[in-house]
Amino acid sequence: MKNTAMSIRLVHRLQRSLAAVLSYLWSGWGALASLFLFCALWEWGAQHYGLLLLPGPQATMLQLVQMLRDGVALEPLQISARRALYGLGAAVLVGSLLGMLAGRSMTAAMAARPLVTLLLGMPPIAWLVLAMLWFGMGDATPVFTVFVACFPLVFAAAMQGARTLDHQLRDVAHVLRLPWWMSLTDIYLPHMLSYLFPAWITALGSSWKVVVMAELLATADGVGAALAVSRAQLDSSASLAWILAVLVLLLATEYLVLEPIKRLAERWRQ
Amino acid sequence: MQLHIRHLTHHYALTEVLQDVNLSLHAGETLALVGPSGCGKSTLLHIVAGLLIPAQGDVQSSFRGLGCMFQQPRLMPWKDVLDNIALGLKALGVPAVSRRAQASQLALRLGLAEHDWAKYPHELSGGMQSRVALARALVTKPDLLLMDEPFAALDVGLKHELYGLLREQVAQRGTAVLMITHDLMEAVRLADRIVVMTAQPGRVLRAFVVALPQEQRSEVWIYERTARLMQMQDVRESFGMPPLTNIDDAGGVSFAGASRCGTKGRDEGLVVSTESCSATGTLPRQGGCSI
Repeated sequence: MKNTAMSIRLVHRLQRSLAAVLSYLWSGWGALASLFLFCALWEWGAQHYGLLLLPGPQATMLQLVQMLRDGVALEPLQISARRALYGLGAAVLVGSLLGMLAGRSMTAAMAARPLVTLLLGMPPIAWLVLAMLWFGMGDATPVFTVFVACFPLVFAAAMQGARTLDHQLRDVAHVLRLPWWMSLTDIYLPHMLSYLFPAWITALGSSWKVVVMAELLATADGVGAALAVSRAQLDSSASLAWILAVLVLLLATEYLVLEPIKRLAERWRQ
Repeated sequence: MQLHIRHLTHHYALTEVLQDVNLSLHAGETLALVGPSGCGKSTLLHIVAGLLIPAQGDVQSSFRGLGCMFQQPRLMPWKDVLDNIALGLKALGVPAVSRRAQASQLALRLGLAEHDWAKYPHELSGGMQSRVALARALVTKPDLLLMDEPFAALDVGLKHELYGLLREQVAQRGTAVLMITHDLMEAVRLADRIVVMTAQPGRVLRAFVVALPQEQRSEVWIYERTARLMQMQDVRESFGMPPLTNIDDAGGVSFAGASRCGTKGRDEGLVVSTESCSATGTLPRQGGCSI
């Protein structure tokens, strides 16, 4: 009887998962429609301004495909993706953890608020200048800049999430004598995820922006450096092709990785 | 195993919420705290549960294991029914398979069908959420169960069913229960002792002992004893109700005469006082008035 009960639960779970995946894919039509509208506007702009000032979507895509065929595109993209990932990963981990701990203590929350405003207000380019002085022209400069740009976003969201946990649920955790680490994973974290996910998505966008900017100015490899070269050569199609490549990666990460994780973690919200 | 509360006083800012409260609870006993809103009953329960530190006074509890049931179900919205029930066991370090087995056993006993176990709290009705909350409180087999008006929002039939399930579980394990209710009939039905509190400031007014064992309490007996309680001046005053003007209107509730008090007879059940049994007079707080 136990086996049939378990298999019934398994079948229910599979049914639910299949329905969720199909409905998610079907909902992609809305996002695609919006993107195509944007492409139409872009094409109109290209026809109006000409190839030098604003290459159209077709020209850009052909250029990108050509660059991929030549083997020129893959390596800079990998390098930039690696740096963005390191900086973003560190910011997400450290920011979420520290924010969660800060949110549990009134003192820490009050002390951290002005610091968060300070960090958010400082322009990433200022951090880049400092990082170039501290770390030179290697990998550490873009990674550090990305970390510093993304950390306050995640920290503020995590802190806010931890502070807004319903005190009634906290009381239940106290009465059930949950150990402190279990109350973090079972009580705080699931509640905080609805604050964390938007912050993580914003941080993802920020990480790519900052890594390209940092590479444009401070390194000799990566997408930013390639962008600097194509700009110097007045090759607008190549510049836009690089930007398009970065945007495609960004969209793919958000909609194929982050959004499904978010839906999975938040299925209790129906 | 006992709970002793001595000279408990507590205030919120300048308002005194509890004043010199003294209570005792022994193993296997059910104590009902009855009183109007704002008389500090919930505060008292929070102090016993360890959620508040009292301003003055002494709370000594030798009960191992605590179960709590609040006015709202307070289920974790991100966990399904079984995980919610098994949360207390998870805190104790019970492995996953074992705790799901214990949770499912208790869930079946409390009327939660198997197809409900994978549901999240927002998919459950109020009654089912209350059952899950009760199961969560009981699954760790606590020695002391604290209940803060848990059935207040349920309909009569559902209340009846949950009373039965609660009594069955409590009788099976010999759990002591400290319950708060503003429903006198619930107190007469479930409790061994009833303590009436009054507000501003919160303090104990009267204590009753319900002498008849729970198995022998019939529905008619419960209704009758509740009616008697409702007619007593002290009880009416603590709820802010006007006293009954004519003692005859009260249907002859005068228990005058020592013969009626403390004697075991056909009418055993609600003993009012060991000293004087007039319903209109104010009676000593201690001394186990029994109804």
